[in-house]
Amino acid sequence: MGLIKWARTKSPWLLHFNSGGCAGCDIEVVAALNPKFDIERFGMLLKGSPRHSDILVLTGPITFQIKNRLKRIYNQMPEPKFVIAIGSCAISGGVYRGCYNVHEGADKVVPVDVYVPGCPPKPEAIIDGIIKVLKNYEKATP
Amino acid sequence: MVQEAIISLLQIVIFPGFLFLILAAFFYEWVDRKFVARLQNRYGPLHTGPRGLLQPFADFLKLLSKEDIIPYAADKLLFSAVPIFLLSLPLTALFCIPIINSTALISFEGDLILVIFITTIIVISVFIGAWSSTNRFSTVGGMRACLQMLGYEIPMTIAMAGPAIVAKTLSISKIVQWQTTGLWFILTQPLGFIIVTICFLAELQKIPFDIPKAETEVVAGWLTEFSGKKLALLRLAEDLELVLAGSIMASLYLGGPAGFSFMPPFVWFIIKLTVCILILSNLRALFARFRIDQLMRGVWKYLTPLALLQIILVELIPW
Ligand code: SF4
Repeated sequence: MGLIKWARTKSPWLLHFNSGGCAGCDIEVVAALNPKFDIERFGMLLKGSPRHSDILVLTGPITFQIKNRLKRIYNQMPEPKFVIAIGSCAISGGVYRGCYNVHEGADKVVPVDVYVPGCPPKPEAIIDGIIKVLKNYEKATP
Repeated sequence: MVQEAIISLLQIVIFPGFLFLILAAFFYEWVDRKFVARLQNRYGPLHTGPRGLLQPFADFLKLLSKEDIIPYAADKLLFSAVPIFLLSLPLTALFCIPIINSTALISFEGDLILVIFITTIIVISVFIGAWSSTNRFSTVGGMRACLQMLGYEIPMTIAMAGPAIVAKTLSISKIVQWQTTGLWFILTQPLGFIIVTICFLAELQKIPFDIPKAETEVVAGWLTEFSGKKLALLRLAEDLELVLAGSIMASLYLGGPAGFSFMPPFVWFIIKLTVCILILSNLRALFARFRIDQLMRGVWKYLTPLALLQIILVELIPW
């Protein structure tokens, strides 16, 4: 089991999903992929297909319209899978909280493993969040 | 008798057979990723093993241990068979390439044709994989892959005939042996080398030609529905295709394992293979993606006539 756990913590592949945010968080997620921060150092790659990815990077508030699509994409990912909520919007609704068309937080729709606060959070914080997911997974499995 | 049998068995299983080729595939994926990362002023994989050397292995293991989803609507038999086809085809072709000395494990008159045929079968397998997953993105990606790879096969085959005509043989091992006495073909047929390089970029679906996998248009192209073990095998197959492309370039144009005698031939082969793979990844970092019409114009308007010109030149100047 040790080898598989090592492989899983060393090669997390990300799927980026904007569920209706202002694109501020998305710019920061993209910045984390850029040469300056370069998350490929940790073996992370951005993948287009949910079937290939391990970590769902959620940004923005969950609107009523996108809720079912989000659930579907989450179900399409193979186990083991993790979800990170990036930004105040994904955590609680943020500036959109109380709007007629948004849920108050991503954890109302899909199970969230790590929350990264900020509006928008810095790329360093996003990288830290992803590393935290992997650390938690390492601790949780024997 | 028994000793010979054991030696040939070891050659097939360990060196230069399966084990060596698979390790080489992992190693060259790392080289490719690291080199492209350095060209883009990044570090690339860093924390997995020394300098990230174990990154492709970690990816492979992780994918092997993930859940393996077969879509409800997919053609289950073909869907499961395609990764195995695609893994075994480049491995078979690599056995025809001379690695440790100037004779390959399998070598007969006409194995150049066999290798070219195998590259065509790879395209067909890609198409079957795309079709059997019954996903819109996969189908579009598979169509694009066929369009591109079958198109670029034509100039590639014509250009590869150049060395064969001069060496008067259709066996890769004999072409390599011819080059140990004569000039390397990259000196006499530089045009052919350039054409083959461009065509291999298209065959490997690397960046200027990554139309079948264009993430912004068709998610992950024909790979979209594959997950878990199947994706692991497909990625390994892609790495093996990269090694195959590099070693065909090295043997047809750079003289394969031939070199000065102060190093064993095998080391020369590895050096040449590395150079070829660095050329392929360097081009990958230089360009943006072509449009489909540019792709088709490229092959019919420029590459095919140039490949024919190369053959005419070979006939006129018989070196
Ligand atoms: S958290 Fe802020 S930056 Fe991110 S999507 Fe919401 S409003 Fe935009």
